[in-house]
Amino acid sequence: MTDRARRAHEVDPRAPLAVVATVKAARRLVGVDAQAARLGLGVGLTLADAQARQPSLIVCDAEPEAEARLLERIADACARFTPLTALDGRDGLMLDVSGVAHLFGGEDGLVAEVEARFARQGLTVALGLADSPRAAWAVARFSHRRIAPAGLAGKDFARLYHDMPAAALGLDAETCADMARAGLRRIGDLALRPRAPIAARFGADVIARLDALVGDERGAISPRFAAPELSVERRFASPIATSEAAFAALAKLADDLAALLEQQGKGARRLELMLFRVDGGARRVAVGAGRPLAEAKAMARLFAERLAGGAEEEIDTGFGIDLMRLSCLAAERIAPAQGEWQRLEESAGARALADLVDRLSARLGTRRVTRLELVAAHLPEQAFAAAPAALGEARLAGQGEPAAPSDAPTRPLRLFERPELIEAVAEVPDGPPLRFRWRRVLHEVAAIEGPERIAAPWWRRANAPTRDYFRAEDALGRRFWLYREGLYGRETTQAKWFVHGVFG
Amino acid sequence: MSLGDRAEDVGRLRRAVAAIEGRREAALPHAAVRLPLTRALDRALGGGLAADGLHEIAPASPADGSAAMGFALALAARFMAVRGRAAIVMAEDFALAEMGALYGPGLAAFGLDLSRLVFVRAPDAPALFQAMEDALKSGAPAAVIGEAWRLKSYDLAASRRLLLAARAGGAPALLTAASAYGAADGFSSAAETRFEIAAAPSAHLPSAGGGRGLPGAPAFAVRLVKARIGAGGAGQGADPTRTFRLTWRAEELSFDEPTLSLPVAAAADDRPRATRA
Repeated sequence: MTDRARRAHEVDPRAPLAVVATVKAARRLVGVDAQAARLGLGVGLTLADAQARQPSLIVCDAEPEAEARLLERIADACARFTPLTALDGRDGLMLDVSGVAHLFGGEDGLVAEVEARFARQGLTVALGLADSPRAAWAVARFSHRRIAPAGLAGKDFARLYHDMPAAALGLDAETCADMARAGLRRIGDLALRPRAPIAARFGADVIARLDALVGDERGAISPRFAAPELSVERRFASPIATSEAAFAALAKLADDLAALLEQQGKGARRLELMLFRVDGGARRVAVGAGRPLAEAKAMARLFAERLAGGAEEEIDTGFGIDLMRLSCLAAERIAPAQGEWQRLEESAGARALADLVDRLSARLGTRRVTRLELVAAHLPEQAFAAAPAALGEARLAGQGEPAAPSDAPTRPLRLFERPELIEAVAEVPDGPPLRFRWRRVLHEVAAIEGPERIAAPWWRRANAPTRDYFRAEDALGRRFWLYREGLYGRETTQAKWFVHGVFG
Repeated sequence: MSLGDRAEDVGRLRRAVAAIEGRREAALPHAAVRLPLTRALDRALGGGLAADGLHEIAPASPADGSAAMGFALALAARFMAVRGRAAIVMAEDFALAEMGALYGPGLAAFGLDLSRLVFVRAPDAPALFQAMEDALKSGAPAAVIGEAWRLKSYDLAASRRLLLAARAGGAPALLTAASAYGAADGFSSAAETRFEIAAAPSAHLPSAGGGRGLPGAPAFAVRLVKARIGAGGAGQGADPTRTFRLTWRAEELSFDEPTLSLPVAAAADDRPRATRA
């Protein structure tokens, strides 16, 4: 908090700094830096008190949104250590590093690496590494040690945890205050007393949390992103700074991933590329494929399409990229190709189309590349749905039957999203129109067919007007799909006319 | 197997042989595979519509925009039927907002196989042309329809790129320009063919009540403004003063030239034969 404020407001690094916010109608300190803490200032002190004690204190306003954004960015950057990262409240991150530490030279190495990386960016972090999320939380916030060795018991456990305040259990303030009133201020006070009375007085939660510290309970974190099925990464001793070099590295990563996929006989349906910059920035780029991809070239091309999309989509190498990771988020088994020549030929065409759809979807977005599917619905505007073509041949539920091609089609080629109001003249109020004016042009109706009466779905919305559709052709041969809203005499006396679509 | 199909196979074999013999593409005269439309139009086009060319379709008036799109879709339906492959329909966002979105049930009734259509919406004209070029080059689709609205970026270079992409992929590019109504004559581009389309009164079906008739099969008044049939082409070329009347038969996926039943004077059999002067 203070690190961000120091950077944002360009405060002298040697001056004590505090961040204030309005808590319970008073300006209170919500964050203090190391210097301020050394001067005896702490979180919760009112601003007036703090300034009376330390006139040299520099004060900044808290900016919760900016802080939350920073935390998310840090979480992204932490993905370089482990794919499983989670936000912990408003001011913490939880990383699941099971089976990861050896990549950084053991737990000590990992902790040192994390600390060094953030220190370089001017961020001070409090770290804790332990068997369970709760223990790590307590160690990070309430202990000078950083790593809680696995399987602590007896004296070792006591040495680490017993001096921590009861708040290290992560209980709410009220319970902590209750326990303090009973003289239970430290974890040791709780751990050395019989469990049953404590559970009876303060709730079973207290005991459960105490057990979690010992490591009896293995909590799980809820990561922001699911762990990928497969991932390959490359670290660069000297960071790469050009996008050409990044693409070259991407091609190599794709080769590696394709080899892994081939071993499993699978193809990738969703891929994600993560770029970690030296300055702590991280960027995720995801692409989808309409068919399981196993060729490295096709994967690299999808990313190239996506990253060539526009100015903001380009790779921003910044001060250099020092880690690239290519992950396969979803894989699918590839159906082995049939040997028959004809079939091969056929599937080559289908594959070319699928590749094209993937490339266009990557560049323009999946919503812009669609297939139309028919839906069994009476209202014309609900009779079709657009599904992303990149999903492949997935079918919608409740599919409608396509109308047989007909020399005189009864449905228009184009449908207006909003039916356009027209002025129409009819011989009788409930008869077909004689002429109408649409987009400032008067059309004389030369041929007409109708009405085709379509009632609104009364089981959804009562009193919706019925529509009488007409197929009208004007003197010059232009064909329109018109409707009159409301049954004359029963639903309305002033029928309104609309153009809903045009025929080819 | 239709005529267009067989001609296409021959063309493909010729190209394959040329590739095996190591001859350059330029050494072989470019012989386009042509899709027959109707007899009169084919004569003007030199045997049909080139299956690997750029064809522009413009409406005659603002209200003919949907007829122009209908004509393009009908051509695509014919190409799809002959080649048994998918077609890609691309449109600029603005064109869809102005002209109305393409309607699934209507497309099916018009004779298009929805399961073999892919729709692409492009945010602007340059993106549309780029996407069309990629689609054409991939060689996957039977035809690519592009509906452009803002034609500022459509110049000789852009049209030439589309034409070359169409040649490379062997698929036709059908570019409809709804905003360029009435401007078909004063337009210059690398396109092989340019049509100006107007809606034409259909052959009305008699109504049971005896009043106004029912609209019949979609009819188009087609003006061939430009037709480049190349050296040694057998076609007559474009004749902008001539209007072809075409009717789309969705059931057979073919165009018809309507037989006009005009009142003619009864043939008299008691009159002497006209003598030549």
